[in-house]
Amino acid sequence: MLLWQVEGGAIRCQSTENDLNIHKTCTSLPLRRSLNMSGSMKNFAPLRRLTGALALLILVAGYTSAGTPPTAPLSDGEIGFAYQERRSAFIKAYLTRTDPTDLERGGLHDIALNFAQGTHLEWARARLRAVSKEPSGAMFWMYPMVLTMHAGAAHLNDDDWAVIRKAWRTYFPYRGDTENHWLMYYASIYLAAEIWPDLPGSEWYNGKSSAENRAEAKEYLLESIRITTAYGRGEYDSPNYIDSYVSALTLLVGWCRDPELQHKAQMMLEFELLDFAAENIGGVYGGAHSRIYPKHVIQPSLAASSALAWLLWGQGEMQLNGSALIVALSGYTPPPLLQHIATDRSAPYVHRELRRTRWRMRHAGPDAVEIAGLKTKPVYKYSYVTEDYLLGSSQGGLLQPIQQQTWSHVWHEDKPLGLSNTFFALHPYFSALEGTMYFGADWDTVVDLIARSKVDYNSPDKLMSGSPHEQVLQHKSALIGLYDIPAGTGFPHINTFFSRDLTHRTEDPSGWIFAQGGPSYIAYRPFVAGEWRPTDWTGLLAGGAGAWISSGHNEWGAGHQVYVSESPKNGYVVQIAATTDFDSFEAFVQAVKDLPIEFSLSPIATATFTTLDGTQLRATYGETPTVNGHRVDYDQWPLFDGPFAQAKPGRNEVTMRHGDTMRRLNFRDGSIKTTINSDDE
Amino acid sequence: MMLSIFRPLIALLLTGTFAFAQSEPVLFTAAAFTKAQKNSSIPTDAGIFIRLPDKGWTPYGPKIQQIASASVDPSDSRRIFLACGNGIVRSTDGGQSWRMVTDWRVSDVTAIVIDPSNGNNIYAASGWGLVRSQDGGETWENINTGIDERFSKTIKLDPRNPRRLLAGTGEGLFESTNRGHKWKRIKDVPAGHVLRLRHGNAKSGVWLAVTEGHGAWLSHDAGKTWQQTAQAAGDANLYACAVDPHNAQNLAVGGWTVGVLTSIDGGKTWQSRREGLPSPNVLTLTYDSNDPGKLWAASFEEGTVWSEDAGATWEDGGLYGALTNDLGFLTLAKNTR
Repeated sequence: MLLWQVEGGAIRCQSTENDLNIHKTCTSLPLRRSLNMSGSMKNFAPLRRLTGALALLILVAGYTSAGTPPTAPLSDGEIGFAYQERRSAFIKAYLTRTDPTDLERGGLHDIALNFAQGTHLEWARARLRAVSKEPSGAMFWMYPMVLTMHAGAAHLNDDDWAVIRKAWRTYFPYRGDTENHWLMYYASIYLAAEIWPDLPGSEWYNGKSSAENRAEAKEYLLESIRITTAYGRGEYDSPNYIDSYVSALTLLVGWCRDPELQHKAQMMLEFELLDFAAENIGGVYGGAHSRIYPKHVIQPSLAASSALAWLLWGQGEMQLNGSALIVALSGYTPPPLLQHIATDRSAPYVHRELRRTRWRMRHAGPDAVEIAGLKTKPVYKYSYVTEDYLLGSSQGGLLQPIQQQTWSHVWHEDKPLGLSNTFFALHPYFSALEGTMYFGADWDTVVDLIARSKVDYNSPDKLMSGSPHEQVLQHKSALIGLYDIPAGTGFPHINTFFSRDLTHRTEDPSGWIFAQGGPSYIAYRPFVAGEWRPTDWTGLLAGGAGAWISSGHNEWGAGHQVYVSESPKNGYVVQIAATTDFDSFEAFVQAVKDLPIEFSLSPIATATFTTLDGTQLRATYGETPTVNGHRVDYDQWPLFDGPFAQAKPGRNEVTMRHGDTMRRLNFRDGSIKTTINSDDE
Repeated sequence: MMLSIFRPLIALLLTGTFAFAQSEPVLFTAAAFTKAQKNSSIPTDAGIFIRLPDKGWTPYGPKIQQIASASVDPSDSRRIFLACGNGIVRSTDGGQSWRMVTDWRVSDVTAIVIDPSNGNNIYAASGWGLVRSQDGGETWENINTGIDERFSKTIKLDPRNPRRLLAGTGEGLFESTNRGHKWKRIKDVPAGHVLRLRHGNAKSGVWLAVTEGHGAWLSHDAGKTWQQTAQAAGDANLYACAVDPHNAQNLAVGGWTVGVLTSIDGGKTWQSRREGLPSPNVLTLTYDSNDPGKLWAASFEEGTVWSEDAGATWEDGGLYGALTNDLGFLTLAKNTR
């Protein structure tokens, strides 16, 4: 029997002739092409809805025909069905944001949704005109406008199109200075130029014809996919900016008519989601991050990643988020394999990733490497994931401008909204060196200009920061942080965050500080005693600075404390454990106190610590650390490595695995190969 | 042979006559209004602004968030180039229409120079290195051979030799004698960031360069040899410099906390001219192309001023709240601005 399923916008067939037999994979066919929905169709929204319905039918058929008993883990059919249910619920809930009597409020996402659904059209038309009068926001205007144009096409009238056309002719958006900006910019201009395929340059803000805009955008988008799948993303693993990546890629997946670009974008979207899924703890993006904002670092479930985790995989709670809306409207269906990877925490695992810094414009440093003529530095990510928590880190150093989170511990919560289920430490560093490394502004103005939008950038109590004076070693559930802060550096102290949601916080005479976070125990040993302060001890964010990045501070930012340890040479040891591993909190405390630990700060910070599992970690600032006497081999760090994902640098290929299923994305030739019970690997 | 040698000069004279007959230099700035920018990474206004006698500062060309500079083809004032974060934007009809002539490979462009003898040869500096077009801006190529730290905010053509270019980079001042094909560092100038490069008229042979932390450097032999000058600002971050096009004895440098320093004797002596400035943090300077000896200075967000007495006194020039990336003169056709 052949069982057809819809997977990631593609139809997949599985042979189920023999229960004992290997389920061999058939070729994945892009769904739209297999249904002969060619790019020449000007408006294919009705057909899209038809295919969506067909997909659902096929899913249900698959669900019922397969005869799989309703036991965990979920079958692919169950996963697909539940996803479609959430998708419908999400769209319905998002629509409630619209107040059709209020013509002053409502952005392009809401406008797009109402045009797509054919609801509140008078309101949508009025708001479309309002936001198109003097557009601003560059790519943040472009991509939801494209969503409106494609998802809402069926209800846009000639006057609406005239308004939209004028905006694309007259508004000259800035392309931005980050990867997420460029991806949104080029995905948007590509899709806009597909809608008007033959316009001359005089009809576009940049003077390029539709064909020229498409050609440039496609070339950039394919090149960015090539670089990312070979060397990792520069703006890696951002719980906030995953919103931008998913938005741009899903727009292409959902509406791009160019088969090659649509297909590669779909593969890339899977790559992004895999990246999150493997470091997902209860719907929260755990570990080390390139960019994170104050509210997300304190309450991780507020980030866009968690909104996507609910929609895509049913984790946590529904949150009305822009990228989730685009996913919901696009018709994209994620491969069930990703949900298994995101949610199966039945066995603890180590997951490693090679990523890179943003391109360094100057001050690249002697350890910089060059890729495609641009300078960057490798980022070595390491995460230890259990059903109870995720401890993840990068190696430390200046890996990203402004908003880096070098390491974090996040514990599992079924419903994490409203909870600060995290623990982390950092050196609050800022400098013109960092700013000019990544931006074109001048040495004397760059810090000031950064702080215009990232108001906490030069604040001593900030909670996100990379530091060139920081070095981190992690092995499974233990971590050592070392610091060597030169004289004259802005803030010679470490901020260690202690959530209001911790219990049993105890300062032991031994120097250890213990606490419990949900199902995890935390032991923290600062090398230099510090003092307790409110999280926002300058009152910067509580005072309302920073607009949306600090809005609602009392809900997410109040009541926590930081342990401020001031010393130019400093460090700490962290040991995490599951509460189920010990009879009691006291037993955990005693076990940690019994562990061998040695450290010194002169002449340089150094520490040796034997972890709860008996592993000896040794780190000296500025030297390669060792685990059980073996130097950590950064040179051989994989692009992905763990039970769920494997990839080698430079290969443009990633393999996902869960149970008997293996799915390989080959970005070189565009092939997707899914096998089940594969013995031929 | 003789004809080929003199052809650039003849072309310059002919086209220059044509251009200036219908055009005149206009003070311009490439600026972003950052002072009023609160809780946002987007300036309240940005773009090219020109100063018209009857209108004051007026937006010119497309409104683009990040513009660092603008240049006009010396041989055809209808050809205008904007150095933008997005790349290079060109007009060939005196600003009536604009086209982005670079693609995703070129970004964060900081300065553009156009060969006066052949407008097809265009050179640009950017945060990622130097690029060149040999077909009027239709196509572009990287020209960084010999340069490792490619970040560049300044590039200039030798007014005596359009094959010769000087560019400031992250590792010093570089020279190319073959239209950017290869570059060689000028070792007189320290190997740090050279932020701005200016020269006097071709006859003077005067060049001035300012640096991040290494002060100002002066050449009297068309940039072949260099000596440190304005010693009082020897370790300052200097962002601005200017040479009077009418009299190369008039020099000015400006920077962070040092305000403006001027010389009226070709760099032999310098005077600090902080008094009367709206701020000691000066980012751009230019001598007036129309008014010999008149010096313009723009501070960081505190406005622009001008002086007709080498900085002894200053008059308000407007532009309060702006961060100016460039300040200079564009020779624009009268009927297109």
